[in-house]
Amino acid sequence: MSTVAFITARGLFGRRRALLLLPLPILLVGLALLCRMYDVSPDMWGQAVIVALGLAVVLPVVALIVGTGVLGSEVDDGTIVHILTKPLARRDIILAKYAVAASVTTVVSAVPLFLTGVLAGSARLGGALAVAATVGAFAYSALFLLFSLVSRRPVLVGLVYILVWEGLLGNFVSGTKNLAIGQYVIAITDKIAPNGMMDTPVSLTTAIVMSAIFTVAGTVFAINRLGSFSLAGETS
Amino acid sequence: MSEAGVIHDIGYQRYDGPRLGRFAMQQALYVHGLRAAYGLGRSAKAKIFPWLVFGIMLLVAVIVAAVRSTIGEVIFTYTQFADQMSFLIIFFVAIVAPQLVSRDLRSGTLPLYFSRPLRAADYVAAKFAALASAIWLLLGVPQFIMFLGAAFTTKTGFKGVWNEVLDLVPGWGYSLLWAVMFAGIGLLIASFTGKQAFAAGGIVAVFLMTAPIVGVLASLPSTTANSLAGLASPMTLIAGINQWISGDEGTGLDLGRFGPVYAIEAVCLIASCLLLLLARYRKVASL
Repeated sequence: MSTVAFITARGLFGRRRALLLLPLPILLVGLALLCRMYDVSPDMWGQAVIVALGLAVVLPVVALIVGTGVLGSEVDDGTIVHILTKPLARRDIILAKYAVAASVTTVVSAVPLFLTGVLAGSARLGGALAVAATVGAFAYSALFLLFSLVSRRPVLVGLVYILVWEGLLGNFVSGTKNLAIGQYVIAITDKIAPNGMMDTPVSLTTAIVMSAIFTVAGTVFAINRLGSFSLAGETS
Repeated sequence: MSEAGVIHDIGYQRYDGPRLGRFAMQQALYVHGLRAAYGLGRSAKAKIFPWLVFGIMLLVAVIVAAVRSTIGEVIFTYTQFADQMSFLIIFFVAIVAPQLVSRDLRSGTLPLYFSRPLRAADYVAAKFAALASAIWLLLGVPQFIMFLGAAFTTKTGFKGVWNEVLDLVPGWGYSLLWAVMFAGIGLLIASFTGKQAFAAGGIVAVFLMTAPIVGVLASLPSTTANSLAGLASPMTLIAGINQWISGDEGTGLDLGRFGPVYAIEAVCLIASCLLLLLARYRKVASL
């Protein structure tokens, strides 16, 4: 199991691929620093940087790239066969890959969000963002890991989720917000460190329960899918 | 055919007919690219995502046209339609651009292409034209439907129809600007990786992360920075050009006296994307 995790991590970070994950967090912290240097009041830029960039773009996009990268790229390359033929329980494969995806996403998104929160307000806001981002990272990773098992084009399915479900529909039909991980992250942040820039119809209990459901159901369903995984031929 | 020294003549013949040359190759690549963008000539799975986006756009256009013809209220004008649908355009580029260039890198067809008299410039031009046309169709067809809805229910006869045409044509021009800009940036990002998944993620990340920068720059305490804020993101850049040319203030941007800067940056951005694409294809390793 640790070998699977090690190989997965190497697949994510090997050959300077880790550098691909850097621009988004750097941009986030850089923008916060820029505003801080110009002494702009956080009321003016907090919404744009923390919510519009940090929670709506950095967290889901990093989770998408990492979450589909751990398994989807192996399905794509066909190297998944090598893991599947080893005497390992499918459950262990998924759990190892999920652990890598969730922890990498957490580190890459929660650390810059913490820094941004500290720059924007207080250590309390930073801590709240870090906790919420961790919860979000676990839920998003489970979802995107599942996508890479149910579809041959997990990134596009994930993008539909991020852009259409959370982005477009969330603006017009507020009912979908109850089923959007982004809203849970906002709800948790707002509860730990109340601030004026976040606004969500989701309550804290819903947020915690639904995040847990997303995480557990995503992982269990992914294990189930990998249990009956069939290698299709070339994609169309 | 059977000369001395030939042991078996199995009937291979040399081609003596006319050779169509580079232009025909470019055209063939363009047609193939445009068809591939919408999944035509490919399996049903390849059609799902492009037609999903196209379907949503059509649906919105039909709703807009219906509302306008029954109530008479204009929800979106032709140019606002493109602005409002920007998420779907980004998604469409993320679907199609990797299809057009990353697949070629991945499956190693580029060395085959370039072993013909096809130049890198031809390849880039064909792919760029294909993607730009695909995006333009994605915007132009729904705009045309909105036009039809408005033209058939107009109450002022041919004058009303002509007024609609005068609105539609700038709308189509505006869509062309979107198409060219997004095609350039999307292709450039996609041409760096053979993995379609990474290319799609990269395109969306680049487009999405630029939008909040505009918000931050617009809140800085400097009117110059506020006026130049729109330059940071392709979406607001295009909206800024529209505002500069047409002078309507609906986009929420404050251009000040920097309108021409927007146009200059747009031209430079598209040109540099194309030049970088050319540089990218000067040397092609099969991944």
